Amino acid sequence: MSYFFQLLVSGIVVGSVYALAALGFVLIYKASRVINFAHGHFIAIGAFTAYALATSLGLSVWIAAALALAFTAIVGYFTERIFLKPLVGQPIISVIMVTIGLASVFGGLIHMTPYGSGNFSLPDFLPEGGVSFAGISVSYPQLLAVVFTGVFLAAFGWFFQRSTVGIAMRAVADDQMASMSLGVSVEKVFALAWAAAGVTAAAAGLIVGAISGLNLEGLVGIGLKVFPVVILGGLDSIPGAVVGGIIIGILENLAAGYLDAYIPGGGTGDVFPFLVLLLVLWFKPHGLFGTEEIERV
Amino acid sequence: MRNPWTRTGNYKTSYAQDTTIFATYSEQASLVVFLVGMLVLPRFLVRGDMQILDLILIYALAVLGLNIITGYAGLINIGHAAFMGVGAYTAALVAPHLPFWAVLPVSGLVAAMAGAVVGIPALRIKHLYLAIATLAFQLIFEWAVGHSPALEQGGAMAMPRVVFLGYKVGFKNHHYFWYYVTFVVLVLMAFAFRNLLRTRFGRSLVAVRDNDRAADAMGMDPGRTKVFAFALGAFYAGVAGALYAYWSRAVVIEDYSLMISIKFLAMAIVGGLGTLVGSFFGPAFLELLDINMETFSYAIKEIYNPPGVDVGSAIRPLAFGLAIVLFLIFEPRGLANWWRLLRSYFRNWPFKY
Amino acid sequence: MKNKWTLWALAAVLAMGFAAAEKVHIMWSGAITGPTSDAGKYYAQGIEDYCSWANDTGYVSGVEFVCETRDDQYNNANTLRNFEEAVDRGDPVFLGYSTGGTLQLKPLVQEVGVPFIPASYHIGNIDPPDNDYIFLPIASYSEQVIAVLEYIAKVSPGAKVAMAIHPSPFGRAPVEDAKKAAGELGIEIVEVQEMAKGLDYTATLKRFENKGVQYIVYQNVAGPVANMIKDAKRLGLKVKHAGAHYAGGPDLLRLAGDAAEGFLWVTAYYMPHEDNAAAKFVKELGAKYGRPADAIESVHYPSGMLAAAIAIEAIKEAGEAGKKISAESVYQALLKMNWPNKLAVGPVTYSKDDHVGVDQLRVLEAKNGTFLPVTEPFSSSLFRKVHYGK
Repeated sequence: MSYFFQLLVSGIVVGSVYALAALGFVLIYKASRVINFAHGHFIAIGAFTAYALATSLGLSVWIAAALALAFTAIVGYFTERIFLKPLVGQPIISVIMVTIGLASVFGGLIHMTPYGSGNFSLPDFLPEGGVSFAGISVSYPQLLAVVFTGVFLAAFGWFFQRSTVGIAMRAVADDQMASMSLGVSVEKVFALAWAAAGVTAAAAGLIVGAISGLNLEGLVGIGLKVFPVVILGGLDSIPGAVVGGIIIGILENLAAGYLDAYIPGGGTGDVFPFLVLLLVLWFKPHGLFGTEEIERV
Repeated sequence: MRNPWTRTGNYKTSYAQDTTIFATYSEQASLVVFLVGMLVLPRFLVRGDMQILDLILIYALAVLGLNIITGYAGLINIGHAAFMGVGAYTAALVAPHLPFWAVLPVSGLVAAMAGAVVGIPALRIKHLYLAIATLAFQLIFEWAVGHSPALEQGGAMAMPRVVFLGYKVGFKNHHYFWYYVTFVVLVLMAFAFRNLLRTRFGRSLVAVRDNDRAADAMGMDPGRTKVFAFALGAFYAGVAGALYAYWSRAVVIEDYSLMISIKFLAMAIVGGLGTLVGSFFGPAFLELLDINMETFSYAIKEIYNPPGVDVGSAIRPLAFGLAIVLFLIFEPRGLANWWRLLRSYFRNWPFKY
Repeated sequence: MKNKWTLWALAAVLAMGFAAAEKVHIMWSGAITGPTSDAGKYYAQGIEDYCSWANDTGYVSGVEFVCETRDDQYNNANTLRNFEEAVDRGDPVFLGYSTGGTLQLKPLVQEVGVPFIPASYHIGNIDPPDNDYIFLPIASYSEQVIAVLEYIAKVSPGAKVAMAIHPSPFGRAPVEDAKKAAGELGIEIVEVQEMAKGLDYTATLKRFENKGVQYIVYQNVAGPVANMIKDAKRLGLKVKHAGAHYAGGPDLLRLAGDAAEGFLWVTAYYMPHEDNAAAKFVKELGAKYGRPADAIESVHYPSGMLAAAIAIEAIKEAGEAGKKISAESVYQALLKMNWPNKLAVGPVTYSKDDHVGVDQLRVLEAKNGTFLPVTEPFSSSLFRKVHYGK
């Protein structure tokens, strides 16, 4: 039984990272209906900025992390201003392709730094070891991942429910025309959504750095794992991103734990989320919490 | 009196005249000149250039298929390389038993079946959701190949060397031989592509793209049309996959990965979505860009090479990404639009309009 | 008037100089970006630096080497294009990289007859068919893994072993031979697991623990291995880790920190901290050409150097035998090579039936943050028994 619970716990930890990554993805989609294929690169930018600041300037990891969050937010903001704004009103494929193109541009830019290839570990900033009870062990970075996700979720919950900007963002998501006529700057809201997405992406990157290690491909790969998460949770639902993230994290771990032994070579954890994705698309295309689109001719 | 060589005005008096592909003799003549030019081109190129030319033509074939799915039918497909992979793996499995000219259609048909299966979700979901479903297909395909011992788990499956009418294909003539094969296949399939829009099915593709509910109301079956679009597009990709397998001498999974699917989409966009000429311009532009950037990156390395950083290697993904972004922002209709402008300039030359 | 003659003389001397210094191209195609580039970029730097060193010291008189390191992004189509370009140019030798690319190119290499030295030590590269022109710099992955299994069998007889491998032909390379060898050695391989790209290896590790695994043998690159051994430490597993050439090394120590303590590693190269000519040579070159410490300490840097060194040595021997430098003469020189090089733990020897350069390997163990040898250089006879049946 401890086997099952250990899988469950590490599933929740991995799921928290996915949830955090998916949060930013959903923010962008909710505000501007853009699917961001460069999200994995935002995660990488955040993580490597923190790493660079912590190692080359010798800053404490916490300060480096805060600066990295701010920097990624700025990158997100200007990405929207420069590249997405000209495409407002263009067909979906243009918007998808521009984020794919941006992913490649960011990849190239990261390769211009020393972090394009190779593996890096953030300096240790947490005590060794972790908590363990009843045969289940969780390390401090893993605990931090869960806590971080909780904090971000609470912060965004407050932001959307209480703050003026958050309410404006919800209004834009709901009806662009109506919110424009009420004096909300839709453009500003779009850019802010991208900045907020940058913050959450950087946070996800930092946590990955703390629990496993930094590698460009690994970080970018998380950008792909976001898809099953958001489809399961619903593309435009913030609670959906969190619930979806944790469910996918758990399913991935359970698949790896129970199915790998029967599949030659194993590796089911990698593909299982995408099978879930197809099933969800087939039976419940708008996910667990997504808004159903009703079409009329 | 109408001059049959140039277009001096609109003399069309019947529907048949209006739907003709070639408005003037000069268009027919220029096509013939172009085809003959392509046939004699290898005489003026060295082996290394032929290799790049082959790659461009094979990719052009795959992009034609993508243009049916994404360009005509408007179904975003992020799994096109997987269709190509299905064709390539089919080719690797049947090539020891069949001559190459039989392998190509078989690969196409198997890929078309895969396409139809992937298209089934299109009955229910659309737009972004469908795009994500094709992405899932791509990743599941890669995983499945990686776990199939019969497919070497993604490792190299060698293709047999071809002997055609007593003509043995080896290192020296390899690229020349496959150039002509690809060229013939491409001309046939481009012809089919060009005429597709003139058929009932082609018209319903566009109708479904523009508004599937309205198409439904007019008696078309959007679901069946979408599934068929996937199957037909995948057929093109499958044939391209078989050609690629022969051309690269072996089938390995990396050649049919997500990165290649993205490349195809980029080629279709840069060329001009849903256009015939764009399907050639896109692959040519992006492949040549990549090769030139590679050469350029060696030049950069000579001048600026800080330790620990590889500026040269960063140029290639950067250029690829910038090409996509800049085209989308400044010329969303792609290179095909420049071609159209150029043609209309020469059509009326020496007059301005 | 006098001036004019001086000019002519100068021109003649220059012309002779150019005529004497024959330009020989050596191309490497590998991953400087993309998958496995953490190994590939240092490998490339090793090749570049050895080449520059050979040119600067005039190592092969009358020959100027033009070494190109091409980034193929781990994409076989690019590798193929680079190789064909090299063949068209008449390069006498080609340096390869990935397992996939090498396996794909085998029939073509055989057809064109250009010696090919890959960075992949997959035994399938030099097994028939089409194996005449491919030369491994050091012993194969199969032999490396069997060597470490032999060591494990000696330290803890009857041990239960799991293998964690890269999900590719590279990872799967030694599995068959390792299984056979385990049978001979009386140890048990309970599971072979391909390592997914996940963030967390808890599920795999817990399963290994349930099956009573004592050793995990890795055939992978250092990044994922580091993550897995860190997870094992976090979970408090009493399992020991071991790995083949690409799994370990200073890169692993840097990434995994003290979780790597006790890691058993097999390679044919010397460590930078060792006090011998090889380590000194590597450090000297790294300093001379301004490489960062990470590169110099990485095992991939001397690996790249050895590949370039073998090619240059073969060209030198072909030249000294008075032959024109061509693929054929370099091939003949390689077949006769017996070179006591200063990079690896043994001499580079090739013959018609032996396409493995350095036959000796050492097992090293990570102790206090460095890899220390725990065996003398040895060659695994068990490998020859299980793979060739002799």
